[in-house]
Amino acid sequence: MGSSRVDPIRGRRREAGQLVAPYILILPSLLLAFWIIGYPIWDLTDMSLHSVTRFGQLKEFSGLANFSHLIAEPLFLECLIRTLVWTFAVVGGTVLLSIPIALILADDFVGRRVLRVIIMLPWAVSLTMSGIVWRWALNGQSGMLNATLYDFGLMKQPITWLATADTAFPIEIAIGILVSIPFSVTVFLGGLSSLPREIFEAARIDGASGWQRWRFLTFPLIRPFINIVLVLNFIYVFNSFPLIWVMTQGDPANSTDILVTWLYKLAFRYGKLDIASALSIVMFLILLAFTVVYAVLAMRNEREAG
Amino acid sequence: MCKVLGLLVGAAALAFTIASAQAKDEIRVVVGFYSAATQAIFEGMAKDFNAAHPDVDVKIEVVQWDNLQQRLTTDIAGGNPPDIALIGTRWLVDFVHNDIAEPLDGYITPEFKSRFIESFMAPSTINGKIYALPVAASARAMYYNKDLFAKAGIQNPPENWDQLVDDAKKIKALGADIYGFALQGKEIETDAYWYYSLWTHGGDLIEDGKSGVGSPGAIAGLQLYRDLIDQGLTEPEPTGYNRQDIERLFKQGRVGMILTGPWLRGQMKADAPALNYGIAQIPAGTRKATYGVTDSLMLFKSGKHNKLAWQFLDETAFSPKWRIEFTTKEGFLPVTKVEADAPVFTGDPQLKAFTDMLPYAHFAPPIPNWEQAADATIRALQQVYTKQVKPDAALKDAATSIDAILKQ
Repeated sequence: MGSSRVDPIRGRRREAGQLVAPYILILPSLLLAFWIIGYPIWDLTDMSLHSVTRFGQLKEFSGLANFSHLIAEPLFLECLIRTLVWTFAVVGGTVLLSIPIALILADDFVGRRVLRVIIMLPWAVSLTMSGIVWRWALNGQSGMLNATLYDFGLMKQPITWLATADTAFPIEIAIGILVSIPFSVTVFLGGLSSLPREIFEAARIDGASGWQRWRFLTFPLIRPFINIVLVLNFIYVFNSFPLIWVMTQGDPANSTDILVTWLYKLAFRYGKLDIASALSIVMFLILLAFTVVYAVLAMRNEREAG
Repeated sequence: MCKVLGLLVGAAALAFTIASAQAKDEIRVVVGFYSAATQAIFEGMAKDFNAAHPDVDVKIEVVQWDNLQQRLTTDIAGGNPPDIALIGTRWLVDFVHNDIAEPLDGYITPEFKSRFIESFMAPSTINGKIYALPVAASARAMYYNKDLFAKAGIQNPPENWDQLVDDAKKIKALGADIYGFALQGKEIETDAYWYYSLWTHGGDLIEDGKSGVGSPGAIAGLQLYRDLIDQGLTEPEPTGYNRQDIERLFKQGRVGMILTGPWLRGQMKADAPALNYGIAQIPAGTRKATYGVTDSLMLFKSGKHNKLAWQFLDETAFSPKWRIEFTTKEGFLPVTKVEADAPVFTGDPQLKAFTDMLPYAHFAPPIPNWEQAADATIRALQQVYTKQVKPDAALKDAATSIDAILKQ
């Protein structure tokens, strides 16, 4: 020990240097990130506080008028509620289905590799393409789904699936879940493969049942991965545009519009760039608030559990 | 090293060609994609003009109609509009209000003006000034399946809506998957499909500067469609069908009557050559009406080559040769007198059904924020087609929101 004793002052200086060095090293990427993320937010904020022509020319400063216009619009609340339904349903369904799928795929069995590839396949197809294929499949006159149901004798009259929100929106949620599963399964598989085998063997020797092993070992251990999947999916799904846009464009009568499809209409169809910017800011703040609240809750849980 | 050198040489060569290209005056023309023929037609015009003016280079860009408005908007916002743009004439008001469109009265000579059929100039005339020139015109008519009509024992196409309802009932009786009248319920021009009914019932889109979609004529027009749905005379659940979907039903011989434009004639030749169909006027209500639509060419106020661009329009784009070429190949109605007198048009009986309707044509009113008003209307229609709201309540709601949109 004696020979490794260091001069306290030099040691502190080295510690200080060690503290600062990492920050200096990541400073360039930090600045770049601030620029890439910060500039659009600054630009959007600027637009949301001015009146803007449909050709993007900034006119007079209008304070919070765009925000009050936005909130006065009945569609705003309608779309906000539907966005929350859409997001919670898709994310909840995805997590509930992905965990069992990941548990099965984590086991060793013949054909596991093939199954893993099949589960991942929807990921390889762009959302727009999936949307187009489903739109065809759900067509009332020539769709695959109707033809199949008809062949099995399950249907007498063709159903136009995308004609009303009662059928269209649940279908869109189901397809949203289907395309979100690959990413979530991948994360869970990674999490499961990182768990130490010994504790499961020990539990088995101690006579823990399958349910007990899941409830008291697997679940608490993959909790951080569930948190990641929840937060990332929440952000993706909340902002997910292509599926709904391709399948129904928010029709009929805005009954499948979520905030982001309405945002597109406001900005690019109606030329209301100022109100659209205000809506973007509101959506950004909602996501930010959700992520922060969730992160705090998750951290507190972990600390209590630890 | 070699690669770098090659790149440098390439870049230098590129810079050189750009520099030498800039020595020539360049006119950029952005046009919408009508069909596979569009590019060749406009390239042909460019070639003709280049031959007469070797110092000018005409560049043609063809853009999908769905993206065209957004594309022009971004170009204008970026300070780089084309010299000539093809637009849907209903967008023109927004360009004029934002002081972006170049007024053309200073360029137009009496001879040039006399080339056009007068009524087609009206939609692009705003506050007494001409801001764009019509290139493509269409009116809408009713296509009917002659075989289904014969099977149902109907002699002639319906002349009014009462007859249409009777005929649709007879056609419906032919089979479970055969429908009397096609009703479009979603996406682009869903509103237009109802305007036929609105206009023929005496309504108007704008009345005394306010929205007319809540007027008695409009409500009667929508009630008619709602009755057709309730009696099962249309395809089931129309809000699942866009324009292509109902046109497909017609091509498959599964629907008796459909209201649409001249383009379906060309598609029928390719997709359903065996189908025996006729074209008649839109059924009358209290009056006759159809929807007239024009697309126009415009110049920009900030354009640097407006004189040359005008020469291109005057000498080439609106010359008899290219007018006839464009209109025949794209299947539109004549907008200039030379076209109307050309044998291709005078000898085409099907086209006559469309041109006969022109005196009754209503054009989109020159109001700002057209797309937003159209969407408010479509929302009301879909509420009625899905049987959620009664026609008068839905339309009065729509009229209120359109009034607010007009004031913006």
